[in-house]
Amino acid sequence: MFDLIGALSASSKIGLALFLLFLLMAVFAEAVAPYDPWLRFSPFMPPGFAHLLGTNDLGNDILSELIFGSRVSLIVGFGAAIMATVIGTVVGLLAGYFRGLTDELLMGLTDVFLMIPQIPLIIVLAAFLRPSFWMTALLMGCLWWTSTARVVRSRALQVREMSYVESAASLGFSRAHIIFTDVLPNVLHVIMPKFLLAIASALIAEASISFLGLGDLTMKSWGMMINFAFTRGGFINGYWWWYLPPGLCVTLFVLSVILMGSNLEDREEVVQVAQ
Amino acid sequence: MPLAAKKAARYAVAFFLIISLNFAIPRAMPGDPLTNLLGEDVDAAGSTIVELREKMGLDQPLHLQYLCYWRNILCLDLGYSYHLHSPVSSAILSRIRWTLLLSVPSLILGAAIGTFFGALAGWKRREAVGKLETALVLTVFCTPPYFLSLLALYVLSFYLGLFPLKGFYSSGSWLDIAHHFMLPVLVMTLFSASRNYMIMRGSVIQEKASLYAAYARAKGLYGNQILFRHIFKNALLPIITLLALDFGFILSGALFIEIVFSMNGMGNLIYDALLSRDYPVLQGSFLIITVMVIAANLLADLLYSRVDPRVRWQ
Repeated sequence: MFDLIGALSASSKIGLALFLLFLLMAVFAEAVAPYDPWLRFSPFMPPGFAHLLGTNDLGNDILSELIFGSRVSLIVGFGAAIMATVIGTVVGLLAGYFRGLTDELLMGLTDVFLMIPQIPLIIVLAAFLRPSFWMTALLMGCLWWTSTARVVRSRALQVREMSYVESAASLGFSRAHIIFTDVLPNVLHVIMPKFLLAIASALIAEASISFLGLGDLTMKSWGMMINFAFTRGGFINGYWWWYLPPGLCVTLFVLSVILMGSNLEDREEVVQVAQ
Repeated sequence: MPLAAKKAARYAVAFFLIISLNFAIPRAMPGDPLTNLLGEDVDAAGSTIVELREKMGLDQPLHLQYLCYWRNILCLDLGYSYHLHSPVSSAILSRIRWTLLLSVPSLILGAAIGTFFGALAGWKRREAVGKLETALVLTVFCTPPYFLSLLALYVLSFYLGLFPLKGFYSSGSWLDIAHHFMLPVLVMTLFSASRNYMIMRGSVIQEKASLYAAYARAKGLYGNQILFRHIFKNALLPIITLLALDFGFILSGALFIEIVFSMNGMGNLIYDALLSRDYPVLQGSFLIITVMVIAANLLADLLYSRVDPRVRWQ
């Protein structure tokens, strides 16, 4: 484990550290946050000792909002990414392993999905549905599997020709067994960077949709916090402690994920060169 | 050519499916389809509702509605916005030129700047200054566009008073319009440049390892000559795709920037439609964006096969 971390580049270590920090913050929100995010104090307090990041228009403690917000934002990010990855992997594996007509159909479907303008579609659907944050994650997951499907397919096309797949087939294992125990483990390393990228784009998309006022009003995500600050005069009055922290959190979290992913891609290059 | 036929079929299917999706959304969503088609601030009662229902064709069976819908689209009739009191198509047309004025210069500038510096960064990736530059660009790349716009607006316009706070113009002279455009164009250029930069950097790093680069070095060419005479052209290929796709999002890409800077382009049209639940405008815009994106994909495919012979002969 420590060897693995040691092999990371410096930027990836920073990314990993940041990522773990956010993850811990989200998991242990109750323990870390000084107050309940819905508790009301006097409004518009600038940062001070009692409230490290001040309070908003309703008197909610912004640091606590930020910490609990990380939970909402990360759930949307991870939820969408997990869904997109699972769909993409299954589609890619099936297309790559079976080839022929299955491949044609599935890749045709992928091409069609790739052409749908995703953010505008999510905006239109969200306008009609007024979705909960689960819905938002689900929608994004249903749209973002295409690039994963493509890389998994091209890797699966290579893996299926390997001799261990052939020997498994000649031993009489079922196709499902071969796909999931022989092919899948060998495509995992191309899935990881895509998974991280999906988390990052889901988080930005959630923040953007919330900014448009289409977010889940019962949940305080980072995007919703910025939206509230924008629509309730936080910008005009210069209450920087209201909108700056959530925006920085989005940026930092996305950055941490991208930094981790960049190292995986570098290693990928190395692996390819070594072959 | 079977590949071209296959591609054409995929485009046709995509086009057909997405247009059909646009038909299905207002009818499948919860609530009254009439409200979903007209927008939520249409307040009609009794006989007017029956009349409107008839006028929209909602009393007819679905397959007839569907045919009628296609006929309207082929006649470029996108419906009527009761909120704006104008046909959707003319509402969109009147906004498009402002959006183009904002996004076309930004995308061109962004592509030029991003490609140039990205190529240099990929070429000299181990230098400390280059690393700092890449880190900065990466940070911009990871920021939600509206957040950076808000910061720029707050610091440069509100706090320092260097730029106007909102809109396209106040007096209408060219100088005034340019002054209003400067900051939004700057922010959008920054984002476009950051995307191009990251892609170009990665592309150059990949190309750098190829044999023809080593050969150019062996021939005795200097660093920058190898980069700009040999590697640059090949590394540019992914940028072509990105540019073509950017063209597809030329109307909707400025959405958030327009909202933050209160500019009356397509983006704000969509935002206002969202706030007032003006569904016809929302759907009409979505349709236009979709057609643009499909066209852009087609363009990317065509350009790519023209420029890269390896793709053409596959």
